[in-house]
Amino acid sequence: MVGSPLMEEEEDMYLDLFLDPYTVQDAFPPAMSHLFSPRAPLDVYPLNLSNPEAVFSPHFGGVKETSSDFSSVDLSFLPDELAQDSKDQAVTGNRHETEQSRKTQDQQCQLQLPGGEDSGLSLNNGSSPGSHAHLYPGGAAFNQPSPEKSSSDSLPVASIVSMTPMNPVPECSGIVPQLQNVVSTANLACKLDLRKIALSAKNTEYNPKRFAAVIMRIREPRTTALLFSSGKVVCTGAKSEEESRLAARKYARVVQKLGFPVKFFNFKIQNMVGSCDVKFPIRLEILALTHRQFSSSYEPELFPGLIYKMVRPQVVLLIFASGKVVLTGGSSERWLCDLGQRFRACISGQPAEGTLENHLSKWNYSSLSLVSTMVQRHNQQPDINPLSLERNLGKSSPYSLKAWHRGYRRTKATRTQISGFAGGTCL
Amino acid sequence: MPSGSRCPDCGSSELVEDSHYSQSQLVCSDCGCVVTEGTLTTTFNDEGNLREVTYSRSTGENEQVSRSQQRDLRRVRDLCRILKLPTTFEDTAISYYQRAYQLSGIRAARLQKKEVLVGCCVLITCRQHNWPLTMGAICTLLYADLDVFSGTYMQLVKLLGLDVPALCLADLVKSYCSSFRLFQASPSIPAKYVEDKDKMLSRTLLLVELANETWLVTGRHPLPVITAATFLAWQSLRPSARLTCSLAQFCKLANVDLPYPAASRLQELLAVLLRMASQLAWLRVLKLDKRTVVKHIADLLQHRHMLVRMAFRDGTAEGETQKQQQGEQGQREEAEDSTFDVLERKRPASPAPLLPPCMLKPPKRSHPTPSVSAVTGDENISDSEIEQYLRTPQEVRDFQRAQAASQAAKSVPNPP
Repeated sequence: MVGSPLMEEEEDMYLDLFLDPYTVQDAFPPAMSHLFSPRAPLDVYPLNLSNPEAVFSPHFGGVKETSSDFSSVDLSFLPDELAQDSKDQAVTGNRHETEQSRKTQDQQCQLQLPGGEDSGLSLNNGSSPGSHAHLYPGGAAFNQPSPEKSSSDSLPVASIVSMTPMNPVPECSGIVPQLQNVVSTANLACKLDLRKIALSAKNTEYNPKRFAAVIMRIREPRTTALLFSSGKVVCTGAKSEEESRLAARKYARVVQKLGFPVKFFNFKIQNMVGSCDVKFPIRLEILALTHRQFSSSYEPELFPGLIYKMVRPQVVLLIFASGKVVLTGGSSERWLCDLGQRFRACISGQPAEGTLENHLSKWNYSSLSLVSTMVQRHNQQPDINPLSLERNLGKSSPYSLKAWHRGYRRTKATRTQISGFAGGTCL
Repeated sequence: MPSGSRCPDCGSSELVEDSHYSQSQLVCSDCGCVVTEGTLTTTFNDEGNLREVTYSRSTGENEQVSRSQQRDLRRVRDLCRILKLPTTFEDTAISYYQRAYQLSGIRAARLQKKEVLVGCCVLITCRQHNWPLTMGAICTLLYADLDVFSGTYMQLVKLLGLDVPALCLADLVKSYCSSFRLFQASPSIPAKYVEDKDKMLSRTLLLVELANETWLVTGRHPLPVITAATFLAWQSLRPSARLTCSLAQFCKLANVDLPYPAASRLQELLAVLLRMASQLAWLRVLKLDKRTVVKHIADLLQHRHMLVRMAFRDGTAEGETQKQQQGEQGQREEAEDSTFDVLERKRPASPAPLLPPCMLKPPKRSHPTPSVSAVTGDENISDSEIEQYLRTPQEVRDFQRAQAASQAAKSVPNPP
């Protein structure tokens, strides 16, 4: 990993700052210098002024609070997997005022956050309001500085649009799967005394005979965590990736307040579960027939839903006759959105009963090839509109496109009697 | 000179059959070691030395096969014979078991799993030949838990990469109906309850097909639907005498277990039939209910396709009528209204949507759309928020005291 020893040092330094807000800041500026190399364009500053003032005010209060508290600068909490591209690229994913305040690095005094609110305030006042106007996580505001910044090596800003969007991407017409659960893990990097934690914290359960971990819960965001004596944490129950990260940090803070020298490493999303509703009933037996070779398993004697194991991306869909779909196994929010659409493409060949065979015969290629084509295209161009993809492919069944546009309304197709029970197909 | 057998001492393959007095011996010509000696040998040794052994006593390929595997292969054969499967099924099932046994995950599994594996192999064989065999049946035969069975089954299908077709509903109907003991008079069954097998079978098939068409089979266990359909078919063949008999009584008479969901499937099927009946003019005047509709099942089944189309609307039909209404509302309202009135008179009740019952029921709880929370994951965490989760030292002491007290209280009733 490029620059990892560099990042380790920085992480340690930021951790120290985080853990003890009143450490001397002497070491701070020189250490910061190698992060914010002078090669970073200084013209970032004038750029910031272009942002509207209005954006600054709602965030000003937030900035004020962060000034007394180092969490706004704790870049050590960056997800590890992004760190290899560039530490800064990882930071861009956060889209918080800290990022912007960091980018205006010509004001290194800005980062001398400890010392009470006064300095913080003067800090904020000292820097131009425009610099904080960057707080607004808008795509437009980001794209402006990004071309400039990409020129510098130390602050390459990845295209912001490829980061996980907070709101569903507007192109996701139709189904937008809702995240129901996000499971993540983190490493606190110190041995924990579970008994002491269970004793000193109110929101814990610990039964060593049953399970060798402390079960801790917090109210906001409503999550549950398993704390192991090795220092590893599993956080479940969050409704989004950001929430999961915030929750994991809160658990780390709780443990830190109990006196343990915690750090926050290796935060990683392990699993995401989403659900959506296509709003029309699905003939599972037909779907199982057509998708049998694509690892779909429908056993009504065992489970009322069809289990579809999609290969790329590696997700499992539980499809029910009522049209509700549960998606699990993903590792980023983006796939959920696209997946919902692809799934709809797969089964939009399912009209009202009676015409299904006609539709399936008109489906020019297998739905999985459609899915995989879309996945490939998606991987190359992260922000492509799946609808336009379908048009570009140009060979899709007209029914499916109409379905997209008209919301499942079908032209009145001739209904053929499907001879039931012939050859063992249940129809 | 037997090839392949070696002297255990020197490893030479020069073994000579010689006899010492009256005892035949196999002797190594190099070192003089006696390899086998008359009757004081085991079959295993004899085979190893390529001596002749009677087939009934030979160990055959069982040297390579472990004892548990041998036992399970015998079980597979027994199961196939109990179920009266054709002999080709036996060989397929055996081959599946052997293939499964090669996999380390299966070989190291517990005995319980291996027992269940026997059933899985037989089930897969039956499915692939469209032989109707339910998992419940196999589980009862094996005295196995359905959960364990399902886990092993899914694992096996995944590991072997098998393509297992779905259960064949028509054949299942035939085999399940044949198991009902209602086709011959017996002391326990009154004459009015005895029924002809073919008639009942054909009607049950039609009813199951109707259930399939109206979303009563998708996603559900097939057997309760078939039970309900059989019951309705039986009742409708002689309604005057049989309306008084309930589903539970029927199953007891027929010596068949009543699956728990069959009652609700019966209600759903009756609801579908009632809707269909409302489309027939001569039945509408009769004002049928769930009991009386049974008498007219024959008519309903005869015209089932048309009646289902008329009685239920799906998304397209609804869309059409809505579009028509909206598009033409501005113009020629009277004409449209009159035509719609005529249509409405033909269909007094607005057609119900043809949906699975799970979609027709009102949702148990409203699904509030989650507000888009602007959480970025990097917000500051205030100290007060964290403090609320921690105990003060006083609380810790109190808690420890309380814990100690409860421990003491627990230990008191058990004197050492």
